[in-house]
Amino acid sequence: MSNNSRRDFLVKAGYGLGGITLSGLMPGGGIFATVANAASLVDPLAAKGTHFPAKVKSVIWLHMDGAPSTIDLYDYKPDLIKLAGQDIPASFLKGIKTSTQGGVGKLYASNRTWKQHGESGAWFSDLLPNLAKQADKLAFVKSSVTIGATHDISILKLNTGDLNPGRPSLGAWVQYALGSANPDLPAYVVLYAGKKEPTGGSVNWSSGFLPAVYQGTAFRPGSSPILHLERPELIAAAQQRDNLDLLKRLNEQRGALYPEDTELRARLNAYELAYRMESSAPEAVDLSKESDATKELYGLNDEITKDYGTNMLRARRLVERGVRFIQVVTGPLDISGDSRNWDAHQDLEKNHGAHAKAVDKPIAGLLADLESRGLLDSTLIVWTSEFGRTSYGQSGTGRDHNPWGYTQWLAGGGIKAGSTFGQTDEVGLQAVGDQTMDTYDLHATVLQLMGLDHLKTTFLHNGRSERPTVVYGQVIKELLA
Amino acid sequence: MFLSRGFCLGTINAEVVGDLILVVSNNFEMLIIRLLRDRPMKHNFRYLILAVLLSGATATLAAEADAEKTAKPAASKTSSANKDWSWQPVATPQVPSVQQKKWVRSPIDAFVLAKLEESSVKPSAEASRAAFIRRATLDAWGLIPSTEEVNAFVNDKSPDAYEKLVDRLLSSPRYGERQARKWLDLARYADSTGFQGDQTRPSMWRYRDYVINSFNEDKPYDRFVKEQLAGDELYPGDTNALVATGFMAGFPDNKNSRDLIQRKYQITTDITDTVGTAILGTTFECARCHNHKADKISQKDYFALQAFFSNVSAVDNIPAPRGSIEARYEQDKAKWEEATKEIRAKRAAIIEPLRAAAEQYHKERYLSDSRDSIFKPKNEWNATDRWVHHRLANVTTDEDLGAYLRVSGESKENPEYVAENESKWLEYKKLTDDLKKFDKLKPAKGSNTISAMTELGYADAPSSFVFFGGNHERPLDEVQPAFPAALTSEKPQIIPTSISSGRRTALANWIASPQNPLTARVFVNRVWDQYFGTGIVRTVSDFGRAGDKPSNPELLEYLASNFVKQGWSVKKLHKEILLSSVYRQSSDYREDAYKADPENKLLAVFPRKRLDAEQIRDSLLVASGKLEDKVGGPSVMPPVPSNLNAGALWQVSGDKQDYNRRSLYVFTRRSVPYPLLATFDMASAQQVHSKRDVTTTPLQALALVNSDIVFEWSQSLAGKVISEAGGNETAQIEKLYQILFARSPDKAEKATLTAFLANHEKIIKAKLKDADGRLALAVPVGLKDTQQLDPVRASAFVDLVHTVANSNEFSYRF
Repeated sequence: MSNNSRRDFLVKAGYGLGGITLSGLMPGGGIFATVANAASLVDPLAAKGTHFPAKVKSVIWLHMDGAPSTIDLYDYKPDLIKLAGQDIPASFLKGIKTSTQGGVGKLYASNRTWKQHGESGAWFSDLLPNLAKQADKLAFVKSSVTIGATHDISILKLNTGDLNPGRPSLGAWVQYALGSANPDLPAYVVLYAGKKEPTGGSVNWSSGFLPAVYQGTAFRPGSSPILHLERPELIAAAQQRDNLDLLKRLNEQRGALYPEDTELRARLNAYELAYRMESSAPEAVDLSKESDATKELYGLNDEITKDYGTNMLRARRLVERGVRFIQVVTGPLDISGDSRNWDAHQDLEKNHGAHAKAVDKPIAGLLADLESRGLLDSTLIVWTSEFGRTSYGQSGTGRDHNPWGYTQWLAGGGIKAGSTFGQTDEVGLQAVGDQTMDTYDLHATVLQLMGLDHLKTTFLHNGRSERPTVVYGQVIKELLA
Repeated sequence: MFLSRGFCLGTINAEVVGDLILVVSNNFEMLIIRLLRDRPMKHNFRYLILAVLLSGATATLAAEADAEKTAKPAASKTSSANKDWSWQPVATPQVPSVQQKKWVRSPIDAFVLAKLEESSVKPSAEASRAAFIRRATLDAWGLIPSTEEVNAFVNDKSPDAYEKLVDRLLSSPRYGERQARKWLDLARYADSTGFQGDQTRPSMWRYRDYVINSFNEDKPYDRFVKEQLAGDELYPGDTNALVATGFMAGFPDNKNSRDLIQRKYQITTDITDTVGTAILGTTFECARCHNHKADKISQKDYFALQAFFSNVSAVDNIPAPRGSIEARYEQDKAKWEEATKEIRAKRAAIIEPLRAAAEQYHKERYLSDSRDSIFKPKNEWNATDRWVHHRLANVTTDEDLGAYLRVSGESKENPEYVAENESKWLEYKKLTDDLKKFDKLKPAKGSNTISAMTELGYADAPSSFVFFGGNHERPLDEVQPAFPAALTSEKPQIIPTSISSGRRTALANWIASPQNPLTARVFVNRVWDQYFGTGIVRTVSDFGRAGDKPSNPELLEYLASNFVKQGWSVKKLHKEILLSSVYRQSSDYREDAYKADPENKLLAVFPRKRLDAEQIRDSLLVASGKLEDKVGGPSVMPPVPSNLNAGALWQVSGDKQDYNRRSLYVFTRRSVPYPLLATFDMASAQQVHSKRDVTTTPLQALALVNSDIVFEWSQSLAGKVISEAGGNETAQIEKLYQILFARSPDKAEKATLTAFLANHEKIIKAKLKDADGRLALAVPVGLKDTQQLDPVRASAFVDLVHTVANSNEFSYRF
């Protein structure tokens, strides 16, 4: 009962005060307008307003699971190549805690060729030939920093802002703050490839202390992406429709006894939404109506790029359908008989050769396709990982974890395309200079582009007004157009 | 539910809107706010706001200053005059006199009625007996009553019928199961470690069973708390008390962490914050990075509290008393050992001669400050070093040793390469793959050990420090274990035991003391919240300044003081509530009550409530007659949707009886929450879960309508209804309503349902026609005699049953 009355009040207040005086007082008075929005009375996912006009409607969050070596992809370091095989000068290790007794490995250079691309002249290695052609769409952050020596905690931090589980993921915050733009689909979708869920599972798209309704919905590989989307085997469509009509009648008959109870009415709505989702969700991921050219663009005709390409194309379709936050996690690949993600502690050559190939064409295809459909300006693409990899080698042919300086990039609406923010030292180990970007800053920047002030996106939890960036975070203005 | 960026200050709701704050007074008629200050903050923020209510009254809501400003008061407050209400000693209030004396069955009623009379609102009439037993059984047991139980109570003419019912409810093991679930939410209980590895913790279920048994035995709450915080110190030799420390041992863990010093800090932080939130209802954790911004808790207070736990280590290999579960486990394990004996011997023959090098390699891969401890000679170890070494031994596995062989044998390019290891590695790898083939033989569940949190046999403990900004790499002043200075002037009496520091005993004695102002208040408030949907203090885990004030302070004082007076008996507390007039009221809508008190804070009407995830699943199992009524034992894995893709993390139980156990026995895998429960807002096991959310989503509807499991239960329920009611459809519908709702359908419902059957039969017939002779019908199951059944009509009836079970009334408690 308590909830209804409060809502009712807010509605009355909204009308009673005309919304004129109040919204006139309010910078970005959109939120008040949504509080009074009738839809929000029954639906926690009803669309809500922003703090200021949003630059983008959707985010595609490309998590390279396992941490690629960005000094072998984007961060060209001639000195590293020159010094390869030698001990790393002590000055480069200053201020960091390494996890190898008796000194770290020798500096290591993989077998790359490097070239500048586009008008921006951005460097790409030969591992990403297709993405290189999209160079001028990207804004690089070459000075990313984070915390952690293991994937676990750094992936948590990348997604939720904390080293321990329990906080909401960025996508959950977005869904909480903005609601859904398409009631027939979840506003926060997770895509992954491979036979099983990404390790760590739902913690990485958890709603944390926010209500569970805001957690990400994992869209599973295959034609039926959501759990329980398909009717029980022996129930025909018409049969189920008739059942739902009965349900509606029963709930309405009984609900008349509780005229003020919006929660009960919301439940009635939820069944109708569910019924629509039975067809809208499979349709959203059904690629059969995509043209051959599109399929080719995303690499669907090649076994190597097909899985990730499918997710990229699904991501575009979800963007078209108003999904706010699409988190795509790369899956493991078969590398020399082992199932491995980007985590190249050994045999980086083979590992990155395979992983880069699997994502290069699909991501480039996504960028080109979004642009040609006029969606790039309203979509933000974030290429991210839990950390990078060290300039010094490990086990002779691989690299260790590097949370001190690595590259990520952003592209799309509101982004200063063709720019570079920050840099690493001469061997690409640590970020140097004032310009660095921690995960909190990335979160603040993403929220900003979504029209949300990370300081004002709050939720009261155990008496504490929590925000997505914990007690940190600054919008990286240099990345914004 | 209302979900927006709002927070609550006192009895006034506030809403952050851009740079403004909307404040809603408690009579919901007026608002306007002037914001005095809103600084863009690097730190977590709050506001100083002044609400000018349109009535002309003014109220200062909450004061907030930044970290520097609160630092001083936080550090210096001890005088009780400055203490907040929840930090004052618990009072024993006078029971108020009321006009409607007849209504008062217990002092609880007098406290509630006094407020109602002040507002000239009458309490509601009694709920019908059938409604009452459905409500009370759901509350006390967590599932719906059987029709036999309903009928027995409805027809019980004796004057103490209610009392007999409540006694029966409280003496059933199902009571302990339900109450345990509530406590396990607070204990962030899980059967796995969480993080990426998310390994099974095969012995945690013993802690879950300990909690169930404690409630069923009506263990005094003070003892319950002491056992969980310091059972090992306080009750040496008591196995149960050792299992109780599983409360602490449930911390989320990543065994592959290479930073053991950080891990220790994270574990201690988890335990401290869990105790603070769950038992003391205080947000101590806010003071980890900076002095508390609302409460008088300094960073020093916080780390002094952590210091009580600085010497605890997880010990997972304590032998459990041998019962049938342990015997079965050992038998199964012996089978695996026998089958793999040869392979394991061959593996050992390869790795043992290399053990020293392999362990050395593994140890060298920890971060530098962990290595400081790891490579220190044993005679120089301090308490921190002992902790690190204990941890290292616990997390180092055969796989870690194998990793060395791989590194040194796989590739010539590796600096660790040793030529002679190349063939060894190939052989070892093959043996390891062979060994994996026998994993199926490993015991699927159970264990023969106890997982406890205890100390390592020494009286000295690691030093504790205030950490700048909560960063363990920036220690400031050293701190000793102490209680929060502003909360009490009492000093801990720490007496080391023969095996431990004695620190937790001192803490447990203070927390579980009748003088502690928080412990009893917080617990009775949680129980109240459980029955009435809202706590007397609405913010059940925040009794501080940022939390709500009690809506009926005298009632809270009465419950807390009486709880302690009654020897901390949890059952007596439940009984008094269950037998009160407040609890007996009808939940029927009353326009007069709604107008006078739209939030129902005064409880003039009994508040309806959406069932918890477990209540929904368990009640469906009861309705369908499939509930497997077995108490305790290792957690089970019922089937999950095939596209869940949880891989090895969810191996469906081999024993089909496991499928239909109560939900609290379903395995809690931190990274793979059981889907049917997860969708109905089950507790997250990552941190203390203070209160279940109620969300209403299409995914819930999909789960209840489309899940094959739920649909099969409906088929069983349909079979049960027909078996019990016979062939008459009116009788069947009557029976169905009795089972699900403990009431008869009304005229309109009967008409709707009968009309549905007729029409639905046609739809199914049309389907069959389309299906071209291939008969595809879902029929009732569990029928002894199917001779008389028209399959199409019976299939329509299954759909009717499934739909009625999906209706609002089933998922709510009225």
